[in-house]
Amino acid sequence: MTALEELKGYIRPLGESVLAILIGALIGAIVLWLSGYNAVAAYKALIQGSFGSLGNFAETLSKSTPLILTAITFAIGARTGLFNIGAEGAVYFGAIAAVAITQSIQNPLAGILAGLFIGALWMLPAAVLKVYRGVHEVISTIMFNWIAFYLASWLALQVFENPMNPNSTLPIPPGARLPLLVKNSTLSLAFVIAVITAVVVYVIMWHTKLGYELRTSGLNSRAAEYGGINPRKAMLWSFIIGGMTAGLAGALQVMGIPPSYSISQGLANVYGYGFDGIGVSLVGRNHPLGIIFAGILFGALNAGATLMQQTGVPLEMVKVIEGIIIVAVAVPGLLDLFLKPLRRGKA
Amino acid sequence: MEERTPVLEMRDIVKIYPDGTKALKGVTIKVYEGEILGLLGENGAGKTTLMKILFGMLKPTKGRIFLRGKEVRFKSPADAIANGIGMVHQHFTLVEVFNALENIILGMEGHGLFSKIDVENARKKLQKLMDELNFQVPLDVPVEKLPVGTQQRIEILKMLYRNVDILILDEPTAVLTPIEVKELFAVLRKLKAQGKTIIFISHKLNEVMEITDRVTVIRKGQVVGTVKTSEATPQLLARMMVGRDVVLRIEKPPKEPGEVVFRVENLWVKGDRGEEAVRGLTFEVRAGEIFGIAGVEGNGQSELIEAITGLRKVEKGKIYLKGVDITGKKPRDLYDMGVAHIPEDRTHMGLILEMTVMENAILGMHWRKEFSKDLGLINWAKVEEHSNRLIKEFEIVAPGTKAPVKSLSGGNQQKLIVAREVSKKPEFIIAAQPTRGVDVASTEYIRNYLVKLRNENKAVLLVSADLDEVLQLSDRMAIMYEGQFMGIVKPDEVTEEQIGLMMGGVKA
Amino acid sequence: MNETFVISLLLGSLAAMVPIALTSIGAVISERAGVVNIGYEGILMLSAFFGAIFAELANNGWVGLLGGALTGLVIGMIHGVITVYLKGDHVIPGIGINLIGYGGVAFGILAYWGTAGQHQVAPSAQIKPLWMDAFGNSLSPMVPITIAIAFIAWWMLFKTPFGLRIRAVGENPEAADALGINVELYRFTAVLIASALAGVAGAYLSVDWLGTVTKTIAAGRGFIALANMVFSGWNPIIALGGAFLFGFFDNFAIYIQNNPWLAGTIPWQFIATLPYVVTLVVVAGIIGRARPPKWDGRPYKRE
Repeated sequence: MTALEELKGYIRPLGESVLAILIGALIGAIVLWLSGYNAVAAYKALIQGSFGSLGNFAETLSKSTPLILTAITFAIGARTGLFNIGAEGAVYFGAIAAVAITQSIQNPLAGILAGLFIGALWMLPAAVLKVYRGVHEVISTIMFNWIAFYLASWLALQVFENPMNPNSTLPIPPGARLPLLVKNSTLSLAFVIAVITAVVVYVIMWHTKLGYELRTSGLNSRAAEYGGINPRKAMLWSFIIGGMTAGLAGALQVMGIPPSYSISQGLANVYGYGFDGIGVSLVGRNHPLGIIFAGILFGALNAGATLMQQTGVPLEMVKVIEGIIIVAVAVPGLLDLFLKPLRRGKA
Repeated sequence: MEERTPVLEMRDIVKIYPDGTKALKGVTIKVYEGEILGLLGENGAGKTTLMKILFGMLKPTKGRIFLRGKEVRFKSPADAIANGIGMVHQHFTLVEVFNALENIILGMEGHGLFSKIDVENARKKLQKLMDELNFQVPLDVPVEKLPVGTQQRIEILKMLYRNVDILILDEPTAVLTPIEVKELFAVLRKLKAQGKTIIFISHKLNEVMEITDRVTVIRKGQVVGTVKTSEATPQLLARMMVGRDVVLRIEKPPKEPGEVVFRVENLWVKGDRGEEAVRGLTFEVRAGEIFGIAGVEGNGQSELIEAITGLRKVEKGKIYLKGVDITGKKPRDLYDMGVAHIPEDRTHMGLILEMTVMENAILGMHWRKEFSKDLGLINWAKVEEHSNRLIKEFEIVAPGTKAPVKSLSGGNQQKLIVAREVSKKPEFIIAAQPTRGVDVASTEYIRNYLVKLRNENKAVLLVSADLDEVLQLSDRMAIMYEGQFMGIVKPDEVTEEQIGLMMGGVKA
Repeated sequence: MNETFVISLLLGSLAAMVPIALTSIGAVISERAGVVNIGYEGILMLSAFFGAIFAELANNGWVGLLGGALTGLVIGMIHGVITVYLKGDHVIPGIGINLIGYGGVAFGILAYWGTAGQHQVAPSAQIKPLWMDAFGNSLSPMVPITIAIAFIAWWMLFKTPFGLRIRAVGENPEAADALGINVELYRFTAVLIASALAGVAGAYLSVDWLGTVTKTIAAGRGFIALANMVFSGWNPIIALGGAFLFGFFDNFAIYIQNNPWLAGTIPWQFIATLPYVVTLVVVAGIIGRARPPKWDGRPYKRE
């Protein structure tokens, strides 16, 4: 088998994702038009705002950072046969852990490790409930997300609150902040860490015994058992690694984003990434490398939304587009639905 | 002699599956009103396929069906039922949480879709049906709580409630206790007395002899013949069912077996429904010996294999490998101790179809040093070498080591499994249905390879529903029936008739 | 604890019960037929929004509820086509629908009313309460209607041929198919009923209970309804009771937040987690006892 043939295996999923993105953009445009907006101007601004200048592109990458990591949480779950939508809660606690530990240990590594550890810890109850009590992970992770939201609000606003600014936590001390990559932007080393994490997860999933066992369990748990693999153990690991990357997302979100370097406006700057990550993962076909690109795409939508807003279009429009993309991804054989009539037309 | 027009005739039915398997090669059967026709044959003979075609579940590739002289073609089971043909499957199609009444009236509850179901009326009708047949089933208990025999009666009632007058029963006694079988036969006789026509699919000679009026024997997708039961003997039927010509040539030199490698003592294993699937088996397999287990599928073979390969709990008894107690050991430990397992379910257990040839080539040995690097990494270069070796040695036709296994043909998939298991360097090999659904060339290759392993002084346990295979390969063989061995014999010291009898549950 | 407090807690719980109960009952029907949908949150959002628009256009709250039902139906059709007819995954479409819900409503409030994040529904377009006291406590006509719907849904599921077939296609579609029941049609119908009920629930939020459209108006009720469905063991009447309990905890948490003494002792956030913790404990405890329909979430393809 040549490299070319190997590549062919990726063309179909890539095509389906691209088609889904186009459908999202098209329906989004129709919605804009029906609502009386200038869709062309809006999309122009969207692209300008995300790729139009080095600063804007830096913003895109910065916005993609947490999305890549939470998408990986979902992807590892999906590859192990799980619908783990609990990244959201792990993000909050990863952020809080980073804020907490760096107050005493002023080193970015401490924050990162704390994020990884607490993220995994937070995911464990859902894992245990799934493996030992058979509680469906969709129900449990959603409940845990709500519990996380309230507990994290309490921790952020009443335990680690900033006495100077009651609506945010203590900031990460300068010694534990991640260096910026582009001046006057919010793009920091965090993005590089996210990309490295994606690559590491790729290596784990496709080049280690553990990853082999996870994927085998996800595809066919009976065959896994036959092959001397314990599918329950695989599920536990899947939750743990997923929790780590989500926790890391939270830690990076406070250690790498100026100017506040804290959890601010309630939980606003750590909120929603767990949910958006699911979409990124689906568009990236639950593959860590695909997720990097899908993450940048979603990051671009979020970054460009600010400029689009100036044309009068509410920035939440990009969420609608994201949602349509996901629904389109959910259509089985999407590509065939379009290609078949085309082929028939030719014949 | 039989001048009457048959109530049902299936003429020249051919069924070729999309993968090219010829299940039926022009089968013609005639069924007369008010009789019980036995459809006798081994597993895979085509009995069930034929009946599924009649019942509208499968489309025939060729052939015609006549019902009361008129040609018919059923698009769905509902269609067949509407025309008075009902079928009770081997695996029941009951809604487990529904009670008998709900299961029976489903789809013909009467009245409007949104009005209250007239339970009392349905109950009255059912009570009348049951009284006529002289049996009772509890109508208000969820069927999953009822014994299998009762569930079967509910299936029969379900069909009768729809006024069918031709009733197909697919291996109806396979899941029943002897007392339940007696009761079922009483019901069938009552139905016959009412003028119903019954097609009774079975591989059990005694039962066919007892209940049917005529028997049509099917072998390898063709009708061998039809006889009047009153003129048949079990011996005759056994010969018709299993007698055959040998297609494949297997070289097997005589060999003295060595020491005992594998031993099972008084093994008891439960099936999925909690039934005693394996009942007190004791046997041993020696080095340089193929020990075969024949028998109709569903007699406990699967549970036996799963128990000895660590995939199912052992209820009672002991399993030894080279004198070491391995009862309850995990698959991984067993592989490391020198066990290899060619599983019966190729696509759901032996392989992960979405994964590549390479990835499948190390299933169950991926932890071994030879495929590992530091930090838990898999040495894919070594795995690729290994895969290429398997492909070359076993002449596996594959697009490449990185092609998904689902792109391989069934025969090549099976060869890959055999190659992988053998590469585990085992002392003891369990081969379950090793050539099922495999083309002739691959079959020959795999069978010869099993003999080669035996010649290399390995111990081989062969479990197969293919009698030819067991007869050809085994040095000693057992015939399994309802969780027990009907006898352990040497293939060259036994007649096909005797084996046929044992497979039908008659002890040698 | 005085009488007024008890009345206000009771009425508040009933008001909070309605949207969760309606959505749960719908979810019960859908899952009884074997179709999982986690997009109720999105349906609640969008139908709260469109329901308010319908209500204001007609100047009638009931038309708003109808508009909500229609919104739910349209979304249900999308989900039904993907899952029932195209045999797609049951979970993924809901993830997209929820995202559309949150984004679309925030967008829509600005685009349609030109206000940011919130729109007050005109009082004349809201549903009039059946009863009201001087302290602002009130009882919506939707409370008795919801209770009636729960009993009707129960009766329909367990007493009529329609319900028998719905449950059959969710438990063993093969058996149902063999008896001539159109599995896809019954599954699709169940999805539509569920989505329409969630649509009514969403519109109730905006044109009745809260009288406003906000960009987070559903506030997780779509998900709580799913948990409540599991809690109910897929039974509409128990789902009604479960919804009342959720409503109670919801109101109780607010009461504690407003009680200076309690608020000083226990952080209010701890109380707010109560419904979710209770759900987890209950769900973990009852799995094994109550089980979902056997073919729940699995597409059915004929052999």
